[in-house]
Amino acid sequence: MRNKRTLLFFMFALPLPLILLSLCVGPSQLIDFQKSIIYIFNFLTGSTSSVQDETIIQTIIFDVRLPRVLMAFIAGGTLAVSGAGLQAIFRNPLVSPYILGLSSGAAFGAAFSLAFGFLVVQASAFLFGVIAVVFSYLAAMRHKEVSVVSLILAGIIVSGIFTALLTVVQFLSDPFKLQTIVHWTMGNLHNTGWQSVNTTFIPAAIGVIVLFFMRWKLNVLSLGDDEARTSGLNPTYGKLIVLIAVTLASSAVVSSVGIIGLYGLIVPHMVRMMIGPDNKVAIPVNFLFGGMFLLVIDNFSRTVASFEIPIGIFTMLLGAPFFLYLMKKSKIGWG
Amino acid sequence: MVNTKIKNLFIFCSTLTGVLLLYYFFIYNNQPAISAKEQNYEIEVTDFRGKTIGFNKPVERIVCLIESALTGLYMLEANDLVVGVSTNIYDSSVFDYYAKIDPKIKNKEIPAYGNWDFVNIESVISLQPDLVIMWASQVEAINALESRGIPVYGVMLHSFEDVYKEIRDFGILTGKNERAEYLVEYSKNQISELKKLQKNIDKKKSVYFMWAQGPLETSGRSSTVNELITLAGAKNACIYPDEHITVNLEKVIEWNPDVILMWYNKKLNSNDILKLSGWRNINAVKNNAVFELPSVFLSDLWTLKFPFAIQFLMKSAYPQLQHEINLQYEKQKIFRYLYNHNPEEIIEK
Repeated sequence: MRNKRTLLFFMFALPLPLILLSLCVGPSQLIDFQKSIIYIFNFLTGSTSSVQDETIIQTIIFDVRLPRVLMAFIAGGTLAVSGAGLQAIFRNPLVSPYILGLSSGAAFGAAFSLAFGFLVVQASAFLFGVIAVVFSYLAAMRHKEVSVVSLILAGIIVSGIFTALLTVVQFLSDPFKLQTIVHWTMGNLHNTGWQSVNTTFIPAAIGVIVLFFMRWKLNVLSLGDDEARTSGLNPTYGKLIVLIAVTLASSAVVSSVGIIGLYGLIVPHMVRMMIGPDNKVAIPVNFLFGGMFLLVIDNFSRTVASFEIPIGIFTMLLGAPFFLYLMKKSKIGWG
Repeated sequence: MVNTKIKNLFIFCSTLTGVLLLYYFFIYNNQPAISAKEQNYEIEVTDFRGKTIGFNKPVERIVCLIESALTGLYMLEANDLVVGVSTNIYDSSVFDYYAKIDPKIKNKEIPAYGNWDFVNIESVISLQPDLVIMWASQVEAINALESRGIPVYGVMLHSFEDVYKEIRDFGILTGKNERAEYLVEYSKNQISELKKLQKNIDKKKSVYFMWAQGPLETSGRSSTVNELITLAGAKNACIYPDEHITVNLEKVIEWNPDVILMWYNKKLNSNDILKLSGWRNINAVKNNAVFELPSVFLSDLWTLKFPFAIQFLMKSAYPQLQHEINLQYEKQKIFRYLYNHNPEEIIEK
């Protein structure tokens, strides 16, 4: 109990220092770690800075690193919360935000835009991500009821359809566009600017806030439809609200940073292993831990080499062993 | 019950408002102003995206993330302006040539911060470039740089005319217009000379071009490859319009090309193609007319070196031109006239 409290304390206390520390990490030789700390400290305290190349350093910290750091935090937190929400309503530990075809739809949308100039990439990815989920939902609906099994199956089928369409677009694209399309699907944060933070923030925030306010109901929904009805909760509407919130938030994130593989599946499990299955606490912790964890991974990703390595590769290489370690140490599942 | 619902709704709305205010003050206000002020620049060029970029004086610091464009800058003798290159300069088959042309490349003194879409934006910004040259299809990376006030010249080459435009634009941007015009004229003269040789060709041969990605990957009628074949006095066997296309073997058999021209290939050579099952009844295979371009650096179709690939094809496809074209001499001319460099220092004897 005491350990849990300490853990929770760190979960809530660490994000801000970690964000500030992440601003000091980067590949640029012009501004090393120490110089960054001095510059940020001077900026926060309002002291006059006497750093050389101040304009370029200001651009690097506030125009390059800050939007990227914020986006990493928002993306990580949103995917983790979305995964936790879906795992609760589907009562299935193998569910992630991508299960309903969102990632395949978004990848197809991005590829379609890159190959044929349809809409801007982000808007097209968002649109097709949402279309894929809506399509899965409608395909699974029978007599105004949506069963969990048929929804997951519909999601797999819709995923397959959009993956096939993505392959068609890739096949029709010239090598330049093909390269860009493949790179987009790997997940990346290196092109993040204020514009992408700006377009992602509102839908991600709305989705996360809705899930935050649904966190009590998620506990009830995770018990099953009959139990939810007994508690006076309409499971169909409850699930629909969660689905809409997850789709909105995850589509916004995926359209900006591409597909970050398995993140929405792994992080909710990590959180569950650390603090237990109670969504009342798990939802905010998922957001904070998910945000911090992706931020740490991105800090590695942008400093380990002089060129950019897609963050999706790092989430797998660093996240998967950590997940396996936790799995060995504790019992994976709901309890 | 009703009170609880109202209370929950109030908390939800307050949280949402708080988040929106946070967004407005910390994110929306942080976006760079997009008010692109109309200015009259001394130097202006329109890149391959149709975007006009301008400067009041020739650029002094260039990050060039395309190998073929870097060659253009070296031909313009603008080596000293290059402050950043793409990673593949240091690890590909072109490194040996660049290392001999420029000691800074040899000693790996010019930083390389990425390739294709994986460009490290922060590192590029820290080089404080006046201009970044990259592929026009790298839309996300271009947006990331342009949104931070760094001008980008987007390149997309579909024809040899595009290669001329690119070198002329680079000439304008670096203040080396005269050198650019000289280079373009030199290449055009070479083509004219080659056309004169084609009077000795009585029947145009059909040529199937084979990219290194696989035997069935070729280029159609709207491509630089098509121009290469046409300027060599032959015709493209592939009838499709595409720049790059994967075709069916049945189609290749149906086209029955007289010659197969392979792009430089690390995995396959012309003998391997001769042994491929299903290809044995194609004229080019039956007549042992499968040829591989000698090197990526010398045969680069996206640079002014493209006449070398034309000469190679002419010499290979038309035996009557064997003695008219001396490839070793043409190789030397590339370094002497295009790079303004002593060929003896570069070409191994």
